[in-house]
Order: sequence, then structure tokens, then C-alpha cells
Amino acid sequence: MKRQASTMHQLQAPSRRKFLSVGAACLVGLRDARAAASSALNFGLTPVFLTNDLELLTSLRAYLSRKTHREVQLVQRRTYEEITALLLSGQLDGAWICGYPFAQFRDQLSLIAVPLWRNKPLYQSYLIAPKGRAAHSIDDLKGDLHAFSDPNSNSGYLVTASLLAERKLRPDQFFRQTIFTYGHRNVVRAVAKGLVQSGSVDGYVWEVMSSIEPELTGNTEIVRKSELLGFPPVACLKTQKDTEGVQLLHQALVEMAWDEDGRHVLDMLKLDGFADEPDSVFDTIFEKMMLVRSLGS
Amino acid sequence: MSLAGLINRLNPSSWPLSFKVPILVAVLMFAVSASITNRVLARLEVSQEQHLQQLASAYLDGLSASLIPAVFREDVWEVFDTLDRSRESYKGLNVKWTIVTNADGKILAASDPSRFPSDRNVEMATLVHFAAGGDVTLDEENATAFLVRALPYQERVIGKIYAEADIGSLLQERNEVFRTLLLTNLLLTLLLASVGYFAASRMIKPVRIMSKHLEEASQGKIELIPDTILVRQGREFRRLFGGYNMLSQAVKERELMAIELAEEEKVASLGRLASGMAHEINNPLGGMFNALDALKRHGSREQVRQTSIRLLEQGLMGIRDLVRSTLASYRADQRPRDLTVVDLDDLRLLIKPEAKRKRLKLEWLNDVDQPVHVPAVPVRDAVLNLLLNACASTVEEGHVKFHTWVEQGNLIVDVSDQGSGLPDHVREYLERQGAGSIPLDKRSGLGLWIVKRLCDEMNGKLHVVKADILGTTIRLIVRPKSGELEHAA
Repeated sequence: MKRQASTMHQLQAPSRRKFLSVGAACLVGLRDARAAASSALNFGLTPVFLTNDLELLTSLRAYLSRKTHREVQLVQRRTYEEITALLLSGQLDGAWICGYPFAQFRDQLSLIAVPLWRNKPLYQSYLIAPKGRAAHSIDDLKGDLHAFSDPNSNSGYLVTASLLAERKLRPDQFFRQTIFTYGHRNVVRAVAKGLVQSGSVDGYVWEVMSSIEPELTGNTEIVRKSELLGFPPVACLKTQKDTEGVQLLHQALVEMAWDEDGRHVLDMLKLDGFADEPDSVFDTIFEKMMLVRSLGS
Repeated sequence: MSLAGLINRLNPSSWPLSFKVPILVAVLMFAVSASITNRVLARLEVSQEQHLQQLASAYLDGLSASLIPAVFREDVWEVFDTLDRSRESYKGLNVKWTIVTNADGKILAASDPSRFPSDRNVEMATLVHFAAGGDVTLDEENATAFLVRALPYQERVIGKIYAEADIGSLLQERNEVFRTLLLTNLLLTLLLASVGYFAASRMIKPVRIMSKHLEEASQGKIELIPDTILVRQGREFRRLFGGYNMLSQAVKERELMAIELAEEEKVASLGRLASGMAHEINNPLGGMFNALDALKRHGSREQVRQTSIRLLEQGLMGIRDLVRSTLASYRADQRPRDLTVVDLDDLRLLIKPEAKRKRLKLEWLNDVDQPVHVPAVPVRDAVLNLLLNACASTVEEGHVKFHTWVEQGNLIVDVSDQGSGLPDHVREYLERQGAGSIPLDKRSGLGLWIVKRLCDEMNGKLHVVKADILGTTIRLIVRPKSGELEHAA
């Protein structure tokens, strides 16, 4: 796995626009009879990454369609809960969910692939505050109006909730008020514009935003970084793991770094690739979940 | 310049027409300009307010529709997200900040959270700007509009939107329109006023020419309007100028004629005087020749000799008196001097030949017993002419009366005749102040004109005391000379 990541990292990324045109051509021109004849693949996306980039969505869909020789429908919902429900009800062949829902339903879900960021299937959760605020730990954020991303997000809720659970506190007991923005980017916006005094955000998203939208992240600062946790994975129902559709998705994802269009998509995502990882990558998240549940939150 | 002169010059009624007309045009233009500017600005203000109301309503309508579900759920993020995104959609309104509150008046979210933090009440200092009634309240002094809208849900108010918009650009636009209007109208007014000034000056130029000539004519300097000016005028003024020239020509001819008549009268008077003098000299001459004849024939007789010498002496004395009074009356010395008693008595000698010629009885009453401070020569000339006129008017063997006295320093002379009276126009002529600059008319004698002219020169007065079929009495009143008059004389 690490070998793959290393190789992917060394691949030269072609220009984004070139890939867009190639991807579009693939979408229109390479849809062969086989793909048309087979049933479409439904691939769910959560706001775990930058879902507001239409170019990214178009390129991802084009890549997956070409690689799987199937028409791929990207299914988006506002909350993690909705996507998870669709996945659990069998309406999706696979979905890019968060580690927290995977931990919640690990007995029903299987991993298709795990993204590699900085060549690892790991990421962190950040506690952020407006720039210039003298806060160095979560204790400095007590009594804040705090922004979470989603109640089913690991980095955008669970990590902070577990940190408080270690102090035998629930978020509503520690913070003056909490809000859910249903998007990591929204958490950054809420903090940067002063709507809230602090927020829990996906470290990967914050880092990517700091290179794309530095004016937004520039108004925030990191108060605390969590330990490394399993990156939001692409999962499927265990019962569908061996279906052709899931296998095609698996193949398309793990080969993405060797494909020109795939590299273009990865460049936009600022990821290095997708890899097969064991469920144990998410054990820490599972433990945090159990800790929080033990407190009744 | 005296204060009275200055005040007079400031009085608009004393301004020349060539100045008043353009000023009037300019004032009217300014009035029209001010009225138009006022109307345009008022219309612009109404239009801008309507535009602002529409824009504000559109903004509040759009926000309300988006916000109501989020406000109902009290979803802070959704409210903020909606406000944040609306900035891009309503750039035309230039909203400075927007606050959304819940039903309790607590801030759910604001476009500027650092200024209006969530979960706080809106400060009263902020709320006072918003009217209880309509959506929009304008504060032109601070170039700000305050917008407020309640958020209804199932007939209940679940929250409110408060917003402050910068209307500086609208006010600036209005100010620019005002400045442009003002400058344009000012320039147009100045231009039109200048055009009006030159046009009016040009139009009334013939009036000024006419006025100047009439003014000069009133001072006795009658000048014809030159043809070069006349031909440049329009039809109306050409006719007017032509009429004036004809009138002036007639007056000039009349003056010339009057001068000629005066000369003739002078010659006639001189003839009458010479004739009278010859007559006066002839009478003693007869006696003197008789005395000489007696001396030649009976000169040896003492008594005859004495008598003849006495007669010769009386005759020569009579001639000497006559010559002396004539010299005194017509001497070249014209220096002003006071009237003496002798001057008045000399008149009796001068008029005597004329009276004798018509066998008139002269009643002479001189109550002046000392010099009077009036000019001697013009008074004597005027009275002599009055006496000559009275002699001419009185029938043969009639009475001519002379009476003079001093009253309150004024010399008063009454000359009465037994003529057939005095026509009204002559009476009016004699009594009208300043009429002596022009002769009476061709039918009347020049004597009265000379009397009137001398009287005007002395600043005296003529008054017809009586004028009927039994005779006429004309009174001459001469005031004492003033210092100024003495100097001028």
C-alpha cells in the first residue's frame, strides 16, 4: 500500500484543464455500448470534500464512467446522515462517507478504498478560532459559540465531542451554543467571518482551502490538531462487496493514480490516490465513538 | 456724491431703461431657472426614493423568502449563509449590514457577526433608527437608509430583518444633478441676460437719441437729428425722428423770425424814440430861434435881451435834460447795479414823447424813495416796454398809469392802460414760469416777449391784476438780487 502511494506521489500530474477536456471527451465519446447496456452505478458523495467544485464533480464522474464502463451517477446530499441512509438501504453501490458513519455501521459496511493524503490514509481534525485569538487548547474555547460540520462527521464533530467526553462533558455543557454548518468549508467561513468563536473542521479540508482560498483560512488559526485518524473512506454494503459494480468502482479508485484523468481528479482533490486499507485504520474513531456514547451524547 | 444723490441712484425707478430691461430679463431667467431646478430636484428626489423603496423591497422580499425556514428553525448558520450570499445578489443597494432576529428580538445572525454577535439583543441605539411603519427610513444627513421587515410565518411574526444601506451614491448623484443644473442655468441665464442687455440697449437706442434731443431742445439748443442716424432706424422711429425734425425746423424758423421781428421792433422803437426826441428838441428850438430873432432885432433892449437869453437857456436846459436821460438809459455800461429813484423817474421822460404823440394822460406815482436791490437795467427796460405797450394799447387821450413801490424788499410795479383787455393766451403766457424762452406768437407784439424774457432772467414774476374791456393792469414783481445771481451777472 505504501509502495503504491509512493509511486503515485512520484507521478507527474498533467494540467488540470487538459484533463478536463480529455475527461469531457471521454464522457461524451467513450461511452461505449457495454456501458450503455449495463445498469448505472450510483456513487454517493458527502460534503467531506470540496463538493462545490463542479469541475471536480464532472471530472470524477467522467473518470469513473470511463474506467467502469458504466454510467456513473454521483449522488449528493446535504448531510452525512442522508448519504449513509441511502448506502445502508442499498440505493448506492458505494459512497464516500466519513470515518464516523463507517465506525457506526462497521458491521454492515465494507471498505472499497481509502484515500491517501500526504501518502497516508490518515488525516486530522482541527479546532480552529478566528486569527489573533489567544487560544492554545480546547479549554480556551469554553463558553464559545462553536461550529460543527455535521453531527455524523468524525473531524467535524466526533473528535471534539470525544475530547470533551474525556472531561466528562458534552458539547452543550462546554460551549455556550453549537451550530452545524453541514460542510467543513462552512465551518471555516463561520469562524473566519466571526459568526462563531471556534469550530471543528476536517484538517485535510482546511489545508486544501489554505492553498485555494488563503484569504478565508488566513482569518483563522489552528488551536489544536488531533491525532492521526482514518481518512474518510469509500465504503459499500458488506452484502454488495463482491458485486461487479463495487469491484469496478474499487478498480477505478485504486488505479486512479495511474490514469491521466484520474491524476487530474486527484490533483483537484489534493490527494495522492486511493488504496486498500484494513478496517483497523478506523479503530481510533470507533473508540472515540464509544467514549462519546458512554457519556450519552 | 451726497447721501440723497446716492439713495436716488439706488432707486430702480431712476435707473436707465437700457439697464432695467436686461436686469429684468436676468431676474426672470433666474426665477425660471430656480423654479426648473427646484422641480427637477423634487422629481429626482421622488424618483430616487421610489427606486430605493423598490430596491429595498426586492432585497427584503428575497431575503424573507430565503430566511423564513431558517429563522423558523433558528438555524444560525443557514441565516448567516443566506445573508452572506445575498451580498453578491444585491450589490445595487450597497447594504452595510443586515441583522436577522428571532421573535424574541435576539440576533440569530448578522452579515457582520463581529459587530452584531449572535444570541444577543439588538441594541436600542440601533433600533431607534428604524421606523415602526414602512420598510424604509431615510437619514439623508448621514447618507443612510434603514430597512426593516417582519418575517411572518402562519400569521405570526417569527423574526425581523434589520438592514442599513449606504445611500451616499444616490445623494451624490442628486448633488451632481443639482450642480450641473445650477451651472448650466447660471451660464444660460448670464448668456440670455447679456443678449437681453444688448438687444434692449439696441432697441431703445432711438429712444435715447430722441430723449437727448428733446432735453437739449428744452434748454434752448434745438438740433436736428442727422440723416445718417435717421436712415439707420426702423420705420416707426424714422417717422418719429422725421416728425421731430419737422417740429424742430419750425421752432427754429419761428425763433429766427422772432429775432428778425425783434430787430424790426428795435428799429421801430429807435425810430419812435428818435422821432420823439426830435419832437422834444424841436419844441425848444422854435422858442430858441424866436429868442435869437428877438435878439437880432431888439438885442439892444435890455429887457428883450434878458428874456431872450432866459428862453435860450431854458431851451438848452431842456435839450440837455433829454440828452442826459437818453444817455443814462442806453449807455453801454451793463454792469449790474441797483435801481435808483432817478432810473424810475427817467422812464417818465422816455415815455413822455410817446404819450404826448397820442395825447395820453400819464399818471405817475413813484413811492420808491431809495435805491432798491434789484438789477437796474433789466427792470427799467422791462418797465419801459410795459409802458410803451400800455401807450400802444390805450386809445388816444386815454390814461396810462404808473405806480411803483417796495414791499418786503420786492420791487412792485403796476402799469395800467385803458385798452380793450388782454387775451387769455397772452395772460397765461405772461404768468407761466419760464415761458419767456420762446416768443408769444406772430400776432402779438414783441414788447411782451421782451418783458417776459427780462422778467425770467431776473427771476421775477408777472401778474395780470386786471384785464377787461376797461383796461389792463400788469404787475411786475422783482425779488432782491441774491449773491449767486450777482456773481453770475
